[in-house]
Amino acid sequence: MKSLVLLISTLLLVSGCSKQNSFDEREINLISPQKVSGFDPINSSDRYSGNETGKVYEGLFEFHPLKRPYELMPNLAESLPTISADGLTYLFKIRKGVLFHDSPAFPDGVGRELRANDIVYSIKRLADPKLNAKGWWLLDDKIVGLNEWKNKNSAEEKTNYSEEVEGLKSLDDYTVQMKLKKPYPQFLYALAMPYTFIVPIEAVEHFGKEFLNYPVGTGAFLLPKFEQSSMITYLRNPKFREKFYPSEGEVGDDKLGLLADAGKKIPLVDKINVHIVVESQPKWLSFLKAKDDLLEVKDVNIQQSINSDKTLKDEHKEKGVRLILKPMLDVTFYAFNHEDPIFKNKKLRQAMNLAFDRASYNKLFHENTAFEAQGPIPPGLGGQTREFKNPYVKFDLEQAKKLMVEAGYPGGKGLPVIVVQTTSETISRQQVEYFEKCMDKIGINIDLGMNTWPQLVNKVSNKQHQMYTMAWGADYPDAENFLGLLYCPNQSPGSNGANYCNPDFDALYKQATVMQDSSERTDLYEKLNEMGATDAPWIFGFHRTDIYLAQAWLKNFKHMEFNHSQFQYLNVDLEVKKQLIKKF
Amino acid sequence: MLRYIIRRLLYLIPVLLGVSFIIFVLFNLVSGDPTAVLLGKNATARQMADLRDQLGLSKPLIEQYFDVVRSAFTFNFGYSWSTKQEISQMIIQGAYPSMCLTVPAFIIATVFSLLISLVVAFYRGKGIDLFIRITCIAGVSVSALAYILFFQYFFAYKLGWFEISGFEYGFPDFVPFIALPAIIFILLSLGPDVRFFRTIILDEIYQDYVRTARAKGLSEITILLKHVLRNALIPVITYVIIQIPSLILGALLLENFFSIPGLGGMTLNALNSSDFPVIKAMAILSSVLYILLSLLTDVLYTLADPRVKLK
Amino acid sequence: MKENSLWKDAFVRLARDKWALGSLVIVLLYSLVALLAASGLLAADWAREVGGSNLPPSAEHWLGTDIFGRDVLAKIFRGTQIAMSVGLVTSLIAIPIGVILGALAGYFGGWVDDLITWLYTTFSSIPNIMLLISITMILGKGIFAVYIALGATSWVTLCRLIRGEVMKHKEREYVQAAGAIGGGHFRKLFIHILPNVTHIVIINTSLQFQFAIKSEVILSYLGLGVQGEPSWGTMIDDAKLELSRGVWWQLAAATTAMFLVVLAFNLLGDALRDSLDPKLKGK
Repeated sequence: MKSLVLLISTLLLVSGCSKQNSFDEREINLISPQKVSGFDPINSSDRYSGNETGKVYEGLFEFHPLKRPYELMPNLAESLPTISADGLTYLFKIRKGVLFHDSPAFPDGVGRELRANDIVYSIKRLADPKLNAKGWWLLDDKIVGLNEWKNKNSAEEKTNYSEEVEGLKSLDDYTVQMKLKKPYPQFLYALAMPYTFIVPIEAVEHFGKEFLNYPVGTGAFLLPKFEQSSMITYLRNPKFREKFYPSEGEVGDDKLGLLADAGKKIPLVDKINVHIVVESQPKWLSFLKAKDDLLEVKDVNIQQSINSDKTLKDEHKEKGVRLILKPMLDVTFYAFNHEDPIFKNKKLRQAMNLAFDRASYNKLFHENTAFEAQGPIPPGLGGQTREFKNPYVKFDLEQAKKLMVEAGYPGGKGLPVIVVQTTSETISRQQVEYFEKCMDKIGINIDLGMNTWPQLVNKVSNKQHQMYTMAWGADYPDAENFLGLLYCPNQSPGSNGANYCNPDFDALYKQATVMQDSSERTDLYEKLNEMGATDAPWIFGFHRTDIYLAQAWLKNFKHMEFNHSQFQYLNVDLEVKKQLIKKF
Repeated sequence: MLRYIIRRLLYLIPVLLGVSFIIFVLFNLVSGDPTAVLLGKNATARQMADLRDQLGLSKPLIEQYFDVVRSAFTFNFGYSWSTKQEISQMIIQGAYPSMCLTVPAFIIATVFSLLISLVVAFYRGKGIDLFIRITCIAGVSVSALAYILFFQYFFAYKLGWFEISGFEYGFPDFVPFIALPAIIFILLSLGPDVRFFRTIILDEIYQDYVRTARAKGLSEITILLKHVLRNALIPVITYVIIQIPSLILGALLLENFFSIPGLGGMTLNALNSSDFPVIKAMAILSSVLYILLSLLTDVLYTLADPRVKLK
Repeated sequence: MKENSLWKDAFVRLARDKWALGSLVIVLLYSLVALLAASGLLAADWAREVGGSNLPPSAEHWLGTDIFGRDVLAKIFRGTQIAMSVGLVTSLIAIPIGVILGALAGYFGGWVDDLITWLYTTFSSIPNIMLLISITMILGKGIFAVYIALGATSWVTLCRLIRGEVMKHKEREYVQAAGAIGGGHFRKLFIHILPNVTHIVIINTSLQFQFAIKSEVILSYLGLGVQGEPSWGTMIDDAKLELSRGVWWQLAAATTAMFLVVLAFNLLGDALRDSLDPKLKGK
């Protein structure tokens, strides 16, 4: 027994309570809710891997950190491109004096200047058939000669980068010319996404297959070597070019203190620590202990963060914590598989939409922070009008039952059990359990199908599902990204997992996607949105709200949908931290 | 002896063939096409086909099976499908945090259980025997998940005794991070360990030589520590050694909840992303380890007890 | 008969052990709850909303309500049925495989033994959790997959034990005698030897039960457990989202329910071994 006591006391002694927060370093502590697997821009396919790549690498353009609606500003490009009259030829001027991080890949280990060739190389890499990049869809069939180059090289032993592509040329060291096959209004957005961030050929060749562990970018922070661990530490790039904090933003930004650092050279901190925490309990507890400066509040912790009137709970307010609530550009839905004959029945689809009690769902899972989706396009994007109300997005059991009769399934009779596929996370299970209860009220039997992520993706891309539930987040701020979910040629294995096909919709969509941003295009988008809404191709869910909690000492954080480039602007107020930390 | 060892080592071959067969059937044949998930949400059919070619999934099944077998014998596992990292590197990087957690916890749990079983054996049949035994069994009757949730909340967050989650390299930096999961690990091991060790020790206590020793007037404690413990040590050691392979993956839940970047979390990730090469590598490594260690225990038996003959 | 007295003896000793008796009572009680729930007499309407979301325990709902306002007590009852059925079915899968293979290997020796030993060495050298996860992933759906996965992984221990025991008995006089009066292999193995190794099966089953119940929780955490029914595993899994907002009753209820029955099976297993294992007799 004595040894037991002894052992426990030594354990406690060695652990010496938990570690103390530090005040002498200008560092920021962030969380990544998923494991980071490596730093190759062409595979940064989701928000969280983009966030990591975006700390080291940069693209030609970036979204303005403060201005809303989202506005592109030149980053590695010196200015916005000159576009030919037909909208097909783009001329990019590259910023001078941009240096790659120091790396053994370069002669003498010193990073060289960025040149036009690097842009050409990085985009070709996205198309390299040997690499099978996750981001290829972005430029698939867009740039003149690029698809041909890809196809040709897929038969070769080694990809030949020296062969010129017609639509992708460097005219001199600081000028790149790109030619499109057809108008691609989202093209510049594509050049602001992590997929097209610029990498130096030397690093790719020097590190070979290990390149993803030795990121060599031009960004404000650097990471000499990436290792699997529970924390990634980025250091300030001492040779970072003269880049300044913006001095204008959205109305009200100055009141929020977001312009306090206007005109200062960035980055403003020495270090960013990213803690990798997967489970929700440790994530939440670590923030409450001030181990982390910023927390993206998910599902369950919403009720612990805010009151029912969407204000911050007092216990957090006392500690100076700030609440940031912003509608997301996303949509959640329960998709029918339209190849299943049952769901050819429009009345059934509409009835199911009417039987889904969104209000209680919103309360239960989102603490009323989400917005009921009227159609595929989230508010904040052209094409979604506030006035448009989907007649089937409301809770009306009577009408639902009536429609069930008209659909030929009075009281659900004659309808087989419908399996809804979802992922196996606790919250997804609970959400489908809720959906099950709703459908039970009009006599529809729902069965829950739980899957690991690969299983769900497989079922959907092989059309082995009846229904599935999913959330879609915007890749770039254009409604086309959402309407594409209902475009017939995108059906499985593409993004239209519902396999919805409507020739009228498709014709209009095709017309709209090659149009530059204009009021005519917005009109078309609106039409498409309504079409997609009333035909009830899905059971519409919600446009969710992003909820962030930020510690008082974290400065310059503004909600951003595409936040991979945002971290370079963050700042920390150590005085405030010293004072407030006593309260934790 | 040498011939026996060689024979046993050769036994690795059929077992590895069996393991690679099971793994191959479970993952390649039944679990379907990994390309959709590897390519992300905007995959095109063309790209999926390309990737299938590159991963060698369009080769005939028999060839694919030979690939698995080949890697089982060469230990060349190649690259992970989902993270694109070199698998041997991933395993080396993950082994360190895993070992930091499981090895000390395992040693402490074993020593502890042995001490407790000696106490229990000394007081056998009395109230304290029953009490300690039942406490140990009660400890292991609580779900690991419940321990984790509650301990993390209470000891790490409320009382602040430990780090909530994370990991740092190097001793003693990692101690505050692994202390709490290690305690849970120990709690979960005590029950079965004590039960097993107690049986072994009791087995010995009723042997003739103990009666002789007692007749010679030796005290019960001397008998227990000098004679019984020494004789009980062999089964104890074998029991301990044979558990080692499970340590590699043993702390899967703990690693996930305490954000320890170890092999358990890596394997779980691989299972969740159809990362067949990583799964294969882990299965093969564990079985090799298992066979080698069970060989070791057999050899130990003979060395310690000449009555046991190896066939 | 010698055998009879062994069993009688064992029973008398078991009955004298209060802990064992208590455990037996608990196990029987749980079985009763499971039977009642299975037959629809108890907690048939567990899915009904009986109050608000996440209400703490009260006189009306002894164990509170869950996120959908369902009665936690009813879910516990229903969960008991699932837990007991997981224990039972996996044992029913594992025992025949383990006993038959073990007996064949131990009795015939030679290549039969080699083959079976190879089979269980292969199985036991792959980490258990990996097999569990992959089998449930492949079978994909709910409780059926859980049964198969647990059954398929837990015959190994039993097989090894039976093999060793049968090997020992094969050489004994009574088996030799049975051979001398003309009993065939089948007769010797199944009529003479197997009844003498049943105690191993009984002890093992008791431990198998608790292992299965605990594994179900882990599988549920990994999202591979029972679906559409309130198992203790899914309840504890729910709690991982609820605990930090102070909803402790679901975790407490499921953990306690599980704790009691697992403890009972463990103690019972120990007591059974103490009274049935001839080696430990009289200690």
